[in-house]
Amino acid sequence: MRPCSPPTFLCLLLESVLPDPYREAIIGDLIEQYTLRVESTSRFSASCWFLSQACRSVPPMVWCWLRSGNCFINISVAVGVFIFMATLKFAADLTISKLVSPDQTTDVILAPIVFLTITAIGGCVAARIRRGATLFLALMVTITVATLIELKVCSVPVPWWYQFGFLTIGPLAVMITPTLFGPLKQQGSVT
Amino acid sequence: MKRGELLGSLEHIILLALVRQDGGAHGMIVRREIEERTGRNISIGAVYATLARLEAKGYVSSFAGEPTPQRGGRATRLFRVEAAGKRALQISEQTIRSMSAGLKDRWGTI
Repeated sequence: MRPCSPPTFLCLLLESVLPDPYREAIIGDLIEQYTLRVESTSRFSASCWFLSQACRSVPPMVWCWLRSGNCFINISVAVGVFIFMATLKFAADLTISKLVSPDQTTDVILAPIVFLTITAIGGCVAARIRRGATLFLALMVTITVATLIELKVCSVPVPWWYQFGFLTIGPLAVMITPTLFGPLKQQGSVT
Repeated sequence: MKRGELLGSLEHIILLALVRQDGGAHGMIVRREIEERTGRNISIGAVYATLARLEAKGYVSSFAGEPTPQRGGRATRLFRVEAAGKRALQISEQTIRSMSAGLKDRWGTI
C-alpha cells in the first residue's frame, strides 16, 4: 500500500508552534490517526480532520506552556535575537548602499531578499538557543512589520501584496526555517 | 491533593479514561475513549495540555515509547495514573456524591 502522510505544511507548522515536551507525541498521534482515517474514510476527509485537530490543538498547548513559566526565558532569548537581527539588517543595508548605487527599484527588489535571509537566520539562531523563542520572535517580527507599514516608512509606492508578503512570509520564515533544517538532523540520528 | 482542591471536569474525565487503560495510554487513546463514552469531540492538544497539568501535579507520570513508522518515526508518550491521581479521583468523586445527594428529585424542576 502506498504510504500516506498528512499535509506537509501543517506538519511543519505544528512542529514550529507546539511547545517542546509533547510536540513529538502530539504530531505522532495525529499522523497515526490520519493514516487510520485515510484507510477508513478518504484522504480529503482525513485531511480536514487533521486540519481541524491542528488548529484546535495549538491554543491549549501554547496556553499551557505560557503558564508553565518557561516563557520568560524564551522572551529574553527572542529579544536578544531580535536585536541581533536588527544589527544584521543595519549592516546589510550599509553594505548594499556602498556596493549598489541608491535606486528605488533596486531597493524594492533587494529589501525582501535581505528581510527573508535575516528572518531565516534569526529563526535558526533562536531555535538553536531555545526552540520556544521562535514563537515570540515571529510575533515580534509581525508587530514590527505591521508598525512599519502603518507608519508608511517605505517611501516607494508598492502594491498591497508586497507589504502583505513581508507581514506573512517574515514570521513564517522565523518559525519554519529551523524546522526545515531540523528533520534532516533527526533523520540522520534515527537511522 | 490539597484540601478543597477539586479536579477540573476535563482533568476528572481524563484521569478516569487513564484508569480504564491498564499499563498506560497515549493521548490519542485517551481522546478516543472520551469521544466514544461521552460524545465530546475534544482536540488532541487539549488532552495533552490537561495531561501536562496533571503530570505537574503529580497525578500522572509519563514515559517515552518506541518511535514507529506509522507515527512518522516519532516516539509515543505513554501516561499512567499515579497513587496521588487515584486519591484525587476518589476525593473528587466523594465530593460530587456528597454535594449531589438528595438532589435528584429537584433536577427535574430546575
